[in-house]
Amino acid sequence: MSLKNILENWSQYRRGHEQGGHHEYEHMWGMAIDLNKCIGCNACSVACYAENNLAIVGKHRYSKSQAMHWMRIERYWDEPELEKAGLVTKGKTIETGASFLPMLCQQCNAATCEPVCPVAATYHTPDGLNAQVYNRCIGSRYCSNNCPYRLRYFNFWSYYEDSWPEPLHMQLNPDLSVRDKGVMEKCTFCVQRIRVAKDEAKMADRKVIDGEFQTSCQQSCPTDAIVFGDMLDPQSRVTKLWKTHQVELGKSKQSKQNPDKRGYRVLEGLNTDPCIMYLERVREV
Amino acid sequence: MSGNQINRRDFLKIMGWSGAGVALAGCDRPTTVTLHEGKEEVVSYLMPEEYVIPGVGVYYATTCQQCPAGCGIHGRVREGRVLKAEGNPDSPVNYGKLCQMGQAGVQGHYNPDRMTKPHIRKGGNLVEASWDEAMALLKQKVGPDSGLAGDRFAWFTGQVSGHQAVLVNALMDSLGSERHYVHEVVNNAVTRAVNKDMLGVATPRYRIDEAKAILSFGADFLGAGQSPVHYATEYATFRTGDRGVLMVAEPKMSLTGANADLWMAVRPGTEGVLALGIANELVIRHKRKIDNLPAEVRDLITHYDLDTTAQITGVAGDRIVKATQWLHSRTPSLVLAGQSAENQAHGYQIAAATMLLNMVLGNVGRTIVPGTELPFPQLAAKQGGTADLRAFAKAVEQGAYDAVFFYNTNPAYTAPSYMKLAEKLQSKVGFKVVLTQFPDETAKQIADLVLPLHSPFEDWGTHVAASSYDEAVISMQQPLMEPLYPTTRGFGDIVLDVLKMRDSDNYGQYADYYAYLSQAFGALSADWQKTLQTGLLKVEGQAQRINAKAVKVSLPDYKQNAEFPYHLVPSARLGLWDGRHANIPWLQEAPDQISKVVWDSWAEMHPATADKLGVSTGDYITVTSDQGTIETQVYVFNGIHPDVVAVPMGQGHEEYGRYAKGRGVNPLKLISPKHDAKTGELALYGTRVKVAKAGRSEALVRMGGPGRNEAQLGRKLVATVTADVYRRTEGANDVA
Repeated sequence: MSLKNILENWSQYRRGHEQGGHHEYEHMWGMAIDLNKCIGCNACSVACYAENNLAIVGKHRYSKSQAMHWMRIERYWDEPELEKAGLVTKGKTIETGASFLPMLCQQCNAATCEPVCPVAATYHTPDGLNAQVYNRCIGSRYCSNNCPYRLRYFNFWSYYEDSWPEPLHMQLNPDLSVRDKGVMEKCTFCVQRIRVAKDEAKMADRKVIDGEFQTSCQQSCPTDAIVFGDMLDPQSRVTKLWKTHQVELGKSKQSKQNPDKRGYRVLEGLNTDPCIMYLERVREV
Repeated sequence: MSGNQINRRDFLKIMGWSGAGVALAGCDRPTTVTLHEGKEEVVSYLMPEEYVIPGVGVYYATTCQQCPAGCGIHGRVREGRVLKAEGNPDSPVNYGKLCQMGQAGVQGHYNPDRMTKPHIRKGGNLVEASWDEAMALLKQKVGPDSGLAGDRFAWFTGQVSGHQAVLVNALMDSLGSERHYVHEVVNNAVTRAVNKDMLGVATPRYRIDEAKAILSFGADFLGAGQSPVHYATEYATFRTGDRGVLMVAEPKMSLTGANADLWMAVRPGTEGVLALGIANELVIRHKRKIDNLPAEVRDLITHYDLDTTAQITGVAGDRIVKATQWLHSRTPSLVLAGQSAENQAHGYQIAAATMLLNMVLGNVGRTIVPGTELPFPQLAAKQGGTADLRAFAKAVEQGAYDAVFFYNTNPAYTAPSYMKLAEKLQSKVGFKVVLTQFPDETAKQIADLVLPLHSPFEDWGTHVAASSYDEAVISMQQPLMEPLYPTTRGFGDIVLDVLKMRDSDNYGQYADYYAYLSQAFGALSADWQKTLQTGLLKVEGQAQRINAKAVKVSLPDYKQNAEFPYHLVPSARLGLWDGRHANIPWLQEAPDQISKVVWDSWAEMHPATADKLGVSTGDYITVTSDQGTIETQVYVFNGIHPDVVAVPMGQGHEEYGRYAKGRGVNPLKLISPKHDAKTGELALYGTRVKVAKAGRSEALVRMGGPGRNEAQLGRKLVATVTADVYRRTEGANDVA
């Protein structure tokens, strides 16, 4: 990203996400999560711990909100949508169980965390990923402060010895690093798996095939609630799902032809342009 | 390489650890090790074997041992160590999926608190010993010259299946013993007994995917059930297309309850009344014919009209009407009973009542269908319950045994304190051998000899699932890596060694359990290498035959208890399970799905009850039964009956390891001596307690923390749409 390059291609750099974003994207990794299928079992979350070397912080640090769960299952008891429609009364919803929400980095295309980083440790890749460069990170935590989803996790401590006493350290995934004190981290869409798939496709002189690899959370999900793929591939499952449920990238408000379609993005109105679409939970009333 | 009889390359090559990994890694690098009649060519160490190419992960198939379900897994191995467990897509149990406990298997394997050396109790203390000493002691106590009479020996295990079950039996045969106690706290033993009596088969196939409406009486099939991953995959089908309706009646909201369309807080022990009340509604309001039921059953059903049912069960009449309406209009339906319903003092009657409701609804043959059974009954899963725990405690008290082998179970932790099991074992049984991977309560407190086992990722075995699926399979367990410790041994190897002492004619020919297994597979005419690659041996199963037969049930009146006004629900969690995973840090840090509490115990309580006691979330309370008292923090929420206090199982370990020990409380210790008369199963959910304020308080540590992550505050985080809209727009075709 030389200065020359920036000056020559200025118009491109000035493009907002509404015009297709900063890059000529090679991929646009995206996700669809069906809340009708999600049962809140937590398999995805522990699978993420296993794949991504997430540290165990222990009870005390957990109480200080220092847990490192890149993928977490939020659980709510109220349902504003149904309450607004007068279909349920506030406080009565316990009769319909809980509302589970798997929350992971939304890989926003207009990420609020990116522009505030003083050292460009978090930036947008040509894959459409919101990447975190651990080596650059100086721990200002501005990004975390600016994330409306609270999905960035800061290493307040050096967890290595506490979290992986011998021989637990042998479980660590060598495909990615263990982050040390003072560094911000978050969901990468399993970038190490993306990397392998891209390399293999390149070696075989072909494109990445939809479904040839899965993110760790998607792979373990017993109800197949999570669909992951390349949104630039018109044939991918995730593209089709977004299309079917009438959600488009690059918008802060969707204009659905059929408002009954279940797709929505969390806090979309903040104009973050997330790459994760959720499908509404379904309720008998 | 050690230079012992067989070196590692031979070892791996003979066992065909090749194709699966290479196929998955998708590379065509040359195999550098060749074999001519078992002899190895000289190969430079500079040429890496295929499974140690730096940077390339290879996958080996094995079977998950974290709970008795028996999911198939692919272990990712890189540079000689296993890194991650992933589901085996070919397994009819889990279709490539895996729950959090399965994911955490690697942390059991690499656990820093594993038992690594044999230990012998000397003067009250466990003292480290060599294997030679351990085996000498075994020989002295159970060998041919020990004078041990066959009926003075027993096995006490968790669920075992496959060739391990065969060996367990073989050891009993060689001793002339007939006692094998199988103990599982999370079980469906009562349902199995009811099924046997009313359907003719203990474990039919439940078609959750075929049902259009499901009513679960405490059957947590998505959480702490018999095969959570399998039923979750079926649940996904159930919820797509015409989207089935899920109703759950239970005293405390389980994970399944948290996904219900209608969750009903039922007074514990009255689930049978609710089932018959719904049956009555079906007859009166919906004109269902029940002529096929015996007259006395028809008569019994008429006793439970809507008002009576609502009054006894505490479930509002309009909810009963609604549930009945759904069950009637959405066929086929399915009624399931689970632990909170069947582990009562009249649990058999309750489970039988729910099966009667299935018969009224015509579900037998539609959603309860014949499953496929393995044609080898000797390999079938020996399923456990708590009746065997009771029987064992009684036999021990009577001084029935001189030697007991424990495996895959931790009764010193799970047995209620009234049994005084540890003390009785110490004084009445001369020789207690504990085969275990961890220094748990049973090993530390009662064992005379502790034999450290390989982890499931280091050991051989075969497993047969207890539940019925589309296909009958034998699921393979094979080592994913070299044992971490040179001084642990495989379960099969140890049992074989003991067998050799007693019966060398038959068992002397097997060098080890691997040799035994591969020969057994030869006898099955199975392709050993292919079976290891796929991890599964699919066999032509035998179809079960179901003969529905109604039985008479009798439901006792509900009784209040003035001294102990509350019901204790010792709920099971998909996570720590019955406490066996308490030393796995991932599972300690994984929040409970409902309360979101981490790293500790808690007591769930209804807001009305909390108000009455003057406590709120975070306050400590004491929960007291006639057997003792525990003290823990309150979590107040609506998903629980006001007369119930729920304390989850899993914590409160006195031993086990750094993550488990001294953390939280164990509700199983409070269980009163009550049991189901028909099956002998403990009434785990039948204990009455009183609750008092302990007078101290601190923040309950959980995800989100106080005041956060409980409410959406009007934001569209979890958006919702009605089922009518869903069926109209997505209807019969699953667009995903």
